[in-house]
Amino acid sequence: MGSPDRRSPASLLLFLLFVLVFSSADAWKKDEFRSCRQTPFCKRARGRAPHSIPPFSVAEVSLSDGAVSARLVPSPAIYQVTDDDASAAADDNDDNLRPLLLRLSVYHGGILRLEIDEDPSSASTPKRRFRLPDVLLPDLEDRRLWLSRLSSPSDADFTSFYVADGFEGVLLHSPFEIVVRRVGSAAEPVLSLNSHGLFDFEQLRAKKEGENWEESFRSHTDARPNGPQSISFDVSFHGANFVYGIPEHASPSLSLRPTRGPGVDESEPYRLFNLDVFEYLHDSPFGIYGSIPFMLSHGASSSSGFFWLNAAEMQIDVLAPGWDDPAAPDTGRIDTFWMSEAGVVDAFFFVGPGPKDVLKQYASLTGTQAMPQEFAVAYHQCRWNYRDEEDVAAVNAGFDEHDIPYDVLWLDIEHTDGKRYFTWDKVLFPNPEEMQKKLAAKGRRMVTIVDPHIKRDDSFHLHKEATEKGFYVKDESGKDYDGWCWPGSSSYPDMLNPEIREWWAEKFSYKNYVGSTSSLYIWNDMNEPSVFNGPEVTMPRDALHYGDVEHRELHNAYGYYFHMATANGLLKRGDGKDRPFVLSRAFFAGSQRYGAIWTGDNSADWDHLRASVPMVLNLGLTGMSFSGADVGGFFGNPDADLLVRWYQLGAYYPFFRGHAHHDTKRREPWLFGEHNTALMREAIHIRYSLLPYYYTLFREASVSGIPIMRPLWLEFPADKETYDNGEAFMVGPSLLVQGIYEKNQKSISVYLPSGSSWFNLRNGVKLDGGASHKLDVSEDGVPSFQRAGTIVPRKDRFRRSSTQMVNDPYTLVIALNGSLAAEGELYVDDGKSYEFEKGAYIHRRFIFADGKLESIDIRPPNAGNKKFSTDCTVERIILLGLPSGAEKAVVEPGNHETNIELGPLTLRSGSKPIAFTIRKPNVRIADDWSIRIL
Amino acid sequence: MGTHRLKVPLAIFCLCFFWIAGFASLSPRELLGIAPQDVGYYKSDVIKCKDGSKKFTKQQLNDEFCDCPDGTDEPGTSACPEGKFYCRNAGHIPQTIFSSRVNDGVCDCCDGSDEYNGSANCPNTCWEAGKAAREKIKKKIATHQEGLLMRKQEVEKAKQAFAKDEAELLKLKNEEKILKGLVEKLREHKERIEKAEEEERLRKEKEEKKRRDAEIKSNELNKSSEESPQDDTEGTQDTLEKASQGKIEVVQESAVQLENEYKSGTEIPDDHTVTQITNDHGDSITSSHVSDHKSDEVPSDYATDQAQSSETTEGLSKEELGRLVASRWTGEQTEQGEEQTKESDDAKEEEQEHNIDFPESAEEENYDSYNSENDDDRHKYDDDDFEDETDEEYQEDHVEPDVSTHSGEDFKSDFPDATPSGRPSWLDKIQQTVQNIIQAFNFFKTPVDISESSRVKNEYDDASSKLSKLQSRISTLSEKLKHDFGKEKEFYSFYDHCFENKKNKYTYKVCPFKKATQVEGHSTTQLGRWEKFDESYRAMQFANGDRCWNGPDRSLKVRLRCGLKDELADVDEPSRCEYVAILSTPILCLEEKLKELQEKLEDMNKSQPSHDEL
Repeated sequence: MGSPDRRSPASLLLFLLFVLVFSSADAWKKDEFRSCRQTPFCKRARGRAPHSIPPFSVAEVSLSDGAVSARLVPSPAIYQVTDDDASAAADDNDDNLRPLLLRLSVYHGGILRLEIDEDPSSASTPKRRFRLPDVLLPDLEDRRLWLSRLSSPSDADFTSFYVADGFEGVLLHSPFEIVVRRVGSAAEPVLSLNSHGLFDFEQLRAKKEGENWEESFRSHTDARPNGPQSISFDVSFHGANFVYGIPEHASPSLSLRPTRGPGVDESEPYRLFNLDVFEYLHDSPFGIYGSIPFMLSHGASSSSGFFWLNAAEMQIDVLAPGWDDPAAPDTGRIDTFWMSEAGVVDAFFFVGPGPKDVLKQYASLTGTQAMPQEFAVAYHQCRWNYRDEEDVAAVNAGFDEHDIPYDVLWLDIEHTDGKRYFTWDKVLFPNPEEMQKKLAAKGRRMVTIVDPHIKRDDSFHLHKEATEKGFYVKDESGKDYDGWCWPGSSSYPDMLNPEIREWWAEKFSYKNYVGSTSSLYIWNDMNEPSVFNGPEVTMPRDALHYGDVEHRELHNAYGYYFHMATANGLLKRGDGKDRPFVLSRAFFAGSQRYGAIWTGDNSADWDHLRASVPMVLNLGLTGMSFSGADVGGFFGNPDADLLVRWYQLGAYYPFFRGHAHHDTKRREPWLFGEHNTALMREAIHIRYSLLPYYYTLFREASVSGIPIMRPLWLEFPADKETYDNGEAFMVGPSLLVQGIYEKNQKSISVYLPSGSSWFNLRNGVKLDGGASHKLDVSEDGVPSFQRAGTIVPRKDRFRRSSTQMVNDPYTLVIALNGSLAAEGELYVDDGKSYEFEKGAYIHRRFIFADGKLESIDIRPPNAGNKKFSTDCTVERIILLGLPSGAEKAVVEPGNHETNIELGPLTLRSGSKPIAFTIRKPNVRIADDWSIRIL
Repeated sequence: MGTHRLKVPLAIFCLCFFWIAGFASLSPRELLGIAPQDVGYYKSDVIKCKDGSKKFTKQQLNDEFCDCPDGTDEPGTSACPEGKFYCRNAGHIPQTIFSSRVNDGVCDCCDGSDEYNGSANCPNTCWEAGKAAREKIKKKIATHQEGLLMRKQEVEKAKQAFAKDEAELLKLKNEEKILKGLVEKLREHKERIEKAEEEERLRKEKEEKKRRDAEIKSNELNKSSEESPQDDTEGTQDTLEKASQGKIEVVQESAVQLENEYKSGTEIPDDHTVTQITNDHGDSITSSHVSDHKSDEVPSDYATDQAQSSETTEGLSKEELGRLVASRWTGEQTEQGEEQTKESDDAKEEEQEHNIDFPESAEEENYDSYNSENDDDRHKYDDDDFEDETDEEYQEDHVEPDVSTHSGEDFKSDFPDATPSGRPSWLDKIQQTVQNIIQAFNFFKTPVDISESSRVKNEYDDASSKLSKLQSRISTLSEKLKHDFGKEKEFYSFYDHCFENKKNKYTYKVCPFKKATQVEGHSTTQLGRWEKFDESYRAMQFANGDRCWNGPDRSLKVRLRCGLKDELADVDEPSRCEYVAILSTPILCLEEKLKELQEKLEDMNKSQPSHDEL
């Protein structure tokens, strides 16, 4: 119940005035977060001019263990300290003159790895720099190429070596520089590091007498016991028009806008530091919940990528052309500047050359999207909070009453007994198992929240156990770190420790998690970690983890480890047979292997709706295929117009969930009048009908790392018009969706990429590619198009949830291209287990050519012994772009005839018959067959 | 699923067979999911989609392929997303379900007819379910029957009460007219007397003045410099005003008196209310100040808070900082956590006390808006406050005006013969008296006879006080009668009723036509002020309650349903600060609803399969 609190009407006016005046102050608290200027390592590094620091040179280049190894020798020149920072001046000492160890290794598929660390044999302190384990795939070493030859002409000051066919790596000796370039007469560079002499590496050293390493920010003091240890360098993407990636940042722009240089007002670098930012802005380079230090570039001639495996705070500048020399012409490359507070250089260059190649190369390091259960791909209904079992039952019934499908009902923090996770509020949720079973009876699941902060309450078994076992992260003095979060005083399990992760995973067993059932899945929130009374609302950087690793070294990966441990918990719970579903807010490179993420606490306004598309697209480009934004916007009350538009767009997010803050009005899809209910139902229905297509795309993502929701240029890499289009996106290779981001918009200009025609899925009208089309905006949905030459599998029968759709027949929508041909795929498995890994799946390719549609098995023969079988048939085939005249088709085998007639594109009251439709071919999806049009 | 795979359980087959004996042209498969009244529609060989979009053949009826986008051709399968499936549910009530439920593995119809392809085993549970449903409906019917009788009485009573009040109002208005005339006469008389008196006084004063003029002039300077520091400013002002405005003093005084009288007429409290009023008096003084104070201070306090959070969180303990940051998401004030130091507990108590003041002052202002004079009143009130005036009259001035029932009774006690039956009425008496006085008074006698003049004044005071009481009663009554009490005035008795419900630590109090509150201990939260009936008198809406922190104004919707007792139940807050409750009352036991229930029961009884099927 709302806490008693009133205002007299007389003061109401003033109160409203105050709300108006302070609502902006109430939102994002800029002062609480550090700017680059307030972050000494960033300020120091950013203040340097190109080539202003003493250069490093390369010595003792050799081949060792199939890789290039060398020493990186700092020149003894006196540092030209250009800024006024005291600790920078202190860097000027012998410690920083020790040579560093450099290693270059090459991995299958066009990947060059660069490692630079201190030489332990000459170290002056016992502290070792942290190298983040557990992110790179364990089998990566098996894919390393054994270099057997270095090419180093005697008169030349460089060493070159093989990277991939057509690409070589070049190590320039003095000054030190790394270039990846194409082999051949042109020898065009693709990527380079330290081309602008900004490489710097603060080596660990003993503290000098009287030196103070402490750093203060607001009321917090960071002891910094190991002193300055930052690393910075420049990376250039040659032949690039734009760079993308390094999520998570909110922006309406798809590409990364320059942060420094000509034409850029004073701005901040892109910050990678996982933070729980209250009411984050829709357009800001500041860090929010997750970090993936992977940037990719795209241009007409090439695509490339760069990934720095480092979980410390990172700041990245994208430099506008002319940043180093205003007189220089546009060089056709994009320079970037990378700074990190700690760790080592463990960086990867991806040579492309196509954009999908870059994504595959990145995926071969950090893994692909875990294949989700089918239900997770459907619609999720969440709110902070569904209050009690009665409320849950009412919402569940509401969906049935309005014939709106949904698959998962979510419970936020209030379901627990005093924010003690793994427990239930006994008054509100006296019978959690029964509640879950009631949902399960309709094929629906439940998700409960489990956060990393554990209430410091001696009667709470989890706290007691974690305390006794010493499983908590420690503060700088070695005591259990005590921070403040939802339950009040809390501690945080040290997820870096594999033993503690195992312990955590056990907590999800049915026995340990009392009240859980097999239809219950998990949501990890606040795992940045969010600490309400910590510096920048997170954990102090000098907190200590397993192996004396400082929190600063690992911060961005804390949430990743927590997500990992939770997903493993669900995996264990189901004896390794049930695919986990865990949604996490914090993430790092590799999080895709453990589940889905969402874009956190967004706001119910049109700007956030717009920003959600570039955000989800950039997540997809950096491996996180399974993501989405809260439909409706978390904070605030969307009006019906915004909510409807959000459903219409959100239905295409890979992760599709409605969610709301507890101060907002209820917004279940039937609360906005019948007309709006119908619009939202329709939006959700579209997602359900496309589930076979989405599931097939998830399969692709899980195999190759190509995202589900794609920027247009990923499919049309040669079409420059698409490079910075953050308003429209592709769902897989076949569908293009354009968002509507303004209230009462009457018409919209949609750019359709070149090289293909497009069919408007509202009316079947064919439109040319390579042009912008001005279209009337309909309230019925956002504009969507099917690319000519593709086949999309759908299921057009509607059910309560995806569970009941399993045996329903398919509809194939064939959009023919100019040569009356099309292709598409369908992947089907049991939707829940890991049997698909043993071959238990159906994978078909549909090919339409020469008036004949064929279904071909593309499941490789060595996929495994297990088979998946289904009696599902195709009930309808819709042909777009077929010249008129066809009346019958013959189905083989069986040689039976079936009718072709005009039918609607979607089975909705009032829809007009506009497309040739093959009626009831009734061929089985599992079989080989062909259908010939007569 | 091809049609060849359609498996129709034998039972349904048989059932359909008997049932459609008259329509032998339709096969059981074709008949699936069609309501009996619709069967005729499907008889011809070529059938139209109901939305007129297309035609289809009988072979296409229920052939697992959607031909009509509106679902006409597939009533018995899941092929059309917009289709509807009819289950007969013999033994229970027939049901129409969404096509999306057909053969989805979940039993939806109690007769199991929605699951015929064998993917789910759905036993026929209609008989038991129907029995239970029939029992339930029978009970409901019984309640409605009994409730209906109570309702009739209630409506009768309400009609009478309404008529009575209306009659009273009419009568009062007539009386008001007469009394107004009398008061006017008395006033004229009084003014003439006063004028005569005033003239006499001025004459005397002139003489006196002449005599003392010189004396005063010489002393004045010294006197003022000696005395003023000791006097409070008001005193000085008073003296000055008296000195300069002596001429109109008398007039002013009587005006004040008149006004006081008028107000005391507005609310005539019984003893019980008086004590309360004394409290209210104290409180309301504070409250009006607190509210003024707060309206300035709360936001700026909060603003400081905000500023602090971005500037001086330095000063906060780790715990306070944690709470502060958490409060952004939760919207809870940081002081209201569970584990608090004693000091902050005290602060909380204090704050709650202040909170208690809010609704009072809110109410006051609310009622203020009813009376145009009120703004002035309030200023006066504040002035009085500063003068530290505590006489009884003053206290009476500030009675909350919402004790209308009391004032009604009091009105009667003050006018013992105010009822139509009382003859001769007080009005006749007063008319007689006034007549006598006016006749007896001799204007031409100077100086004015003091006893006569005071008699006139007293009579005037008395009559005008009666008039204001009368007028206040009129306004109370017309205020009441203005409301919408339903088509048959059936909710008339609700006007003077409040309904209570206790849930956990809260007591909910719903006073129709007035307000609804949530009481926790000593603190009262207003959930809303009366707005209107909603959903054709099936719900009462209260809106514009106390504002939620970071949220909307509280509101309450009370759904009404038939019950034998007036009972408030199921208070709930499904969305933050939007409350709902259920009030059972015989008033909602409606004839139509009873008929509907009886018809439903009849249908259910009819569809019992025992005699006509199988």
